[in-house]
Amino acid sequence: MLRNVPKEQSNPKLSVVVIAFNNELYIEEALESLHEQTFDDMEVVVVNDYSSDRTGELIDRFVADKPTFKAIHLEENSGGCSTPRNTGIAHTTGEYVMFLDGDDWYTVDACEKMVAAIERTDSDFVGGQVIRTNTYEIWYHKQIYSVERTNINIREFSMLLFDSLSVNKIYKRSFLDKHKLRFPEGIHYEDIIFTGKAYFLAGSISFIPEPVYYWRVVENADAKSITNRRFEFDNFRNRIIAHRMFDEFLRENGDVLYQHNKNNKFLRHDLKLYTNDYLLFDEEYRQQFHLLIHEYMHEAMDEYAFIKLPERERILYYLLYIGDREAFEDYVAYINGLPTKQERVYAIGRQYYFRPSLPGNQHEKFLGINQPEIDFTLSEIQLTEDRLSFRAKALMNSVASSSLTYKWGLKNRQTGERVQGAMSESGLIQFSLNDVSPGNYYLSLYVSHQGNVHKRLVKRGMIEELPNTKVENSTLSKSLFINQKNSFAVKVEPLKTWDQLKWAYERRRNTATAKRNSILDTPFANYLKNLYRKLPVRSDWVLFESHMGKQYSDSPKYIYEQMLEAGKKYKYIWSLEQPGKVDIPGPAIKVKKHSLQHYYYLVRSKFWVDNQGIAHLAKKRKDQVYVQTWHGTPLKKMGYDQKTRPSETELKRLKTQTKAWDYFISPNPYSTEIFRRAFRYPGEILETGYPRNDLLLKQPPEIIEKAKSSLRIPAGKKVILFAPTFRDWDPNSFQKTLEDIQTLSGKIGQDSIVLLRLHYLLSNMISQHNLPANIINASNYQDIQELYLISDLLITDYSSVMFDYALLKRPIILYCYDLEEYVSRRGTYFSLEEKAPGPVCRTIEEVYDFLSHPEKLGSYQQELERFSAQFGVVEDGNAAQKVIDEVFK
Amino acid sequence: MPKKNIVFVLNEYNGHGGAQRVASILADDFVQDGHHVAVLSINEQKDAPSYFSKNIPVTVLHKDDYRATLPKAISPNLKSLKLKTVASEINRRIQLSRRRKDVGRFFDQYGSEEVFVIVVQVWGMQWLQPLLYRPNIKVIGQSHESYIAAKNSLRYKRILKYYRQVSKFLLLTGKDADHFESRGFPNVGVMYNPSPFRAQVAADKLYRNKTIVSTGRLVDDKGFDVLIEAFARVASDLPEWQVHIYGEGPAKESLQNLISILGMDNRVILKGQTKDIQSALSSSSFFVLSSKAEGLPMSLIEAQSCGLPCISTDCAPGIREIVDDYKSGFITPVGDVPVLSRQIRRLASDPAMFSEFSEHAFITSMRFENETIKNQWYDLFDELGGQQHVKERA
Repeated sequence: MLRNVPKEQSNPKLSVVVIAFNNELYIEEALESLHEQTFDDMEVVVVNDYSSDRTGELIDRFVADKPTFKAIHLEENSGGCSTPRNTGIAHTTGEYVMFLDGDDWYTVDACEKMVAAIERTDSDFVGGQVIRTNTYEIWYHKQIYSVERTNINIREFSMLLFDSLSVNKIYKRSFLDKHKLRFPEGIHYEDIIFTGKAYFLAGSISFIPEPVYYWRVVENADAKSITNRRFEFDNFRNRIIAHRMFDEFLRENGDVLYQHNKNNKFLRHDLKLYTNDYLLFDEEYRQQFHLLIHEYMHEAMDEYAFIKLPERERILYYLLYIGDREAFEDYVAYINGLPTKQERVYAIGRQYYFRPSLPGNQHEKFLGINQPEIDFTLSEIQLTEDRLSFRAKALMNSVASSSLTYKWGLKNRQTGERVQGAMSESGLIQFSLNDVSPGNYYLSLYVSHQGNVHKRLVKRGMIEELPNTKVENSTLSKSLFINQKNSFAVKVEPLKTWDQLKWAYERRRNTATAKRNSILDTPFANYLKNLYRKLPVRSDWVLFESHMGKQYSDSPKYIYEQMLEAGKKYKYIWSLEQPGKVDIPGPAIKVKKHSLQHYYYLVRSKFWVDNQGIAHLAKKRKDQVYVQTWHGTPLKKMGYDQKTRPSETELKRLKTQTKAWDYFISPNPYSTEIFRRAFRYPGEILETGYPRNDLLLKQPPEIIEKAKSSLRIPAGKKVILFAPTFRDWDPNSFQKTLEDIQTLSGKIGQDSIVLLRLHYLLSNMISQHNLPANIINASNYQDIQELYLISDLLITDYSSVMFDYALLKRPIILYCYDLEEYVSRRGTYFSLEEKAPGPVCRTIEEVYDFLSHPEKLGSYQQELERFSAQFGVVEDGNAAQKVIDEVFK
Repeated sequence: MPKKNIVFVLNEYNGHGGAQRVASILADDFVQDGHHVAVLSINEQKDAPSYFSKNIPVTVLHKDDYRATLPKAISPNLKSLKLKTVASEINRRIQLSRRRKDVGRFFDQYGSEEVFVIVVQVWGMQWLQPLLYRPNIKVIGQSHESYIAAKNSLRYKRILKYYRQVSKFLLLTGKDADHFESRGFPNVGVMYNPSPFRAQVAADKLYRNKTIVSTGRLVDDKGFDVLIEAFARVASDLPEWQVHIYGEGPAKESLQNLISILGMDNRVILKGQTKDIQSALSSSSFFVLSSKAEGLPMSLIEAQSCGLPCISTDCAPGIREIVDDYKSGFITPVGDVPVLSRQIRRLASDPAMFSEFSEHAFITSMRFENETIKNQWYDLFDELGGQQHVKERA
């Protein structure tokens, strides 16, 4: 068996074990790479694993005249790498050992570098970089080999487990012998065990950022190497066998603490190889695969091993873990854009999940989906002078299609203009392009599903065939266009030179202004602002604002209107976010909030009337007067009273406001006391009642008429106002509200109408056409006071709406499905359940029960009277006038 | 076959790179088959000869020798008072818009006849962009380098900008095509460069030449230093062998110095430029390409067309589409002198292997044969022209 035994006296420093099996093509190159090493003090043992080709012959020829090389020919094929490597080790005498496979090769100075590194660090073994020849990238370069690592331990850097190769390392022979560390014979994936054990047995390990080993990757090879035959089930079985041996070793070696690190590598590397190929497996393979992986997972880990993995792996592995093959196969189909057997994707609020087939209440923790998959294709794209049209197929995978609506929209990125698509009778999506301005109109699909809107930009790949069409009229050209990032657009360009120049200028201006947050930030604006501040304050100017300029409403509105009625000689200014969209009666000047003009009036008006806080916008000047009307009787704790003390910055902000206030309007003695304490406000409080509530006591018929007609409420219907508050801790409360109104809609029938009033932050999430006919979205109606007047009944929860509404003495139902949570999060000034002006319901069914039994609701009349009496004690319908008398003397 | 209108668009029609070479070979073939071929060149070199035959009309866009600068934003430069930059940018824009009109007029000559426009380098697309919307004009864009080489260049950005809507975007290799397909290009295809000649020289005759040959401009990127070093390592094992390097370039002196230092003066010879590559190849044994980056190197294709085995660095995806490792030659890591030297020795010292590789190399070169490639172009024209036909019916 042995030939060419060298007659060396002293042991060499390094022994290299080369193993070869049918490597006739490459073995010479492997051996030459060793023979040409820059390092001399070494021996090479080549073990031929009973090759059936010329490998043995080539080895013998090569070693013939080289005394430091010897060849060993095994007498039967071992079927793996372990036996030849162990045999090789047994025939070596060096102080250090390295391994080389017969189809790979070393860099010319690999041995020199590795010996130097292990002598320098005195580590038990040292790893060097591996280069794969298909990519020339370094194996685990970023994770492990980017820097030199000296004398580390696997327990401090478990990422090392990802490099489970044995061939790119140099080992102290004493280390291998001390632990009797050899390659396990009779199995494949010997490296997993050998290297794994070595990591945990070694006291210290080092890594050098130098390439030492070329791993020859032959693509499209006829005969795949052992480790690449993933389609044979034995291959998977062998891998699991190796991992089980490694697990057993960890237990015996007292390293169960690190099992999870090992699991992590198994999941992210080993198992992934197989789940990636799952579609290629046949039925028999799949059956065995599910059985074995289920068994193995339950041996080695629990479901929390997946929780931090990327979404796809987390879901795949969890389904394997719970043994849900049906759902697993559906998920594999889902991520490959194939139809699933069941509709499995569902949403709770904004969060999406994949539904398993097996019951259980822990699933959602592991089966969350960040973004649902939406497939769509466009065909028959046509562009004419006045129209873009196409046919579209869109599908949100694995979701019940009845709950989906698909809409298409074009958006001009330069100007922000939008064009909505409409469906023609023949099923074409059409866009009218009659009134477009220059710019690129990008096309998006909007899929709305249970109140969630998913936007997908149309890319070239989703378009079946795209003709290069360009159409022109006398002034504009329109063309189908694909941009650098592969997005589809209709490009509209001016044709005349003068228009082109104008457009180039506008386009620049658009982007330039978009970059600035506000016009007030420009240097020129600063100059103007300083100038404005030097101009005298005008004692007959009054600046109004309500709800940060979002509305023309609340007490500022009623003070303004009362001043008009009283014929006061003032100049009135209203600050609004969108002045163009709000109608204001009388001579008031509307200014856009944050504009220079706004600033001008802000610093020159003697009077500010506002209901939230504008003191931070400009430093109040000495002779200015700030009337803070505030916007409701407090139920939830505010300011200094909050359950958790507000942060320093919050307090600072609050102080900026309270210091600026000259008058504060309070609706009742209860509120007066709270405001003073909660805001630490020492100034004058006008306990006049709320100017906004004057309307509720006067109830002018023309306002009722106007409100009814603008909301198109048919005569004779009972009107229910539904006004839930915003729960900022629960992003899904909106979905809950949607579900509730759907339920209500089904129950109340056609005799009643529900007016839905949502918080302004939510009002844009809903549009009328998604609502049933007996639900009217009144969220964008300017003044809620007017809605009170036209409704016969109120459903609300914790909102100050109830205090105002109680003045009408009309029934109130409090729908507080999360009362305990609200109280514990926010804290309230009194117990709602004790003082409530009506029944406190926990379910929407309970609410309906009261709706359908007016006599039951009527039994709360006493509570309502008491509530109204306490909180409405000063309201007499003249609050606005009282305020005016005090302030505008 | 009905006569076709074919226009080649080049940066400089009388440059001396691979692109001009390939285009001129194709152009001659098309002319021979009776097609109407014209060349549209953005610029020209002063008084330089061209590969193109005299009977092919050439139109130069910038006859005044103006060279387009890179696009710049006007406003920030104006703000920082870089008036020269602003002036040159305004000039560029004016020039671009005028020359686009010239291009429009050039193609007006064809009326509504179908024209196949082969854009050899993407630079020209900025003048051709409006043509994309003319139904009778089929623009075929080419990129003659591997995506890895192009990746960090402005050329890559121009490809992303201009080639998405061309009728066909041709790459040199399948891997390059895959890359752009994965970037959302629906129009990619592969077209090999044609070999200008194909004539087998018997393997034993080649072997007896005992000459390793390499060609290319003498610049650092071609890695001739690696070849010289590698040969020097094994020169004593191959006493009768020589290396012949054909080409001129700025690195000539330093290469000559290297040869002297390694004592290879009689073994490695810088032969200078040759007019007759075919005979240079036929009088050698095998070809070594030691470049750092390439596309689909013509030199390897030409070498194989004479039956030369090739050893090449793995410097582009295209290499593996030409050379079969351990079958028609060897592929070695870029810049790895020891491996290259061993493979040179292996091939030079094994006549049986040499002869096997030589046979295989010649068979492989069939893929690049003039006739084969030309017919692929005709198939492509039919495919693109056919599309329009179908649409007219629909």
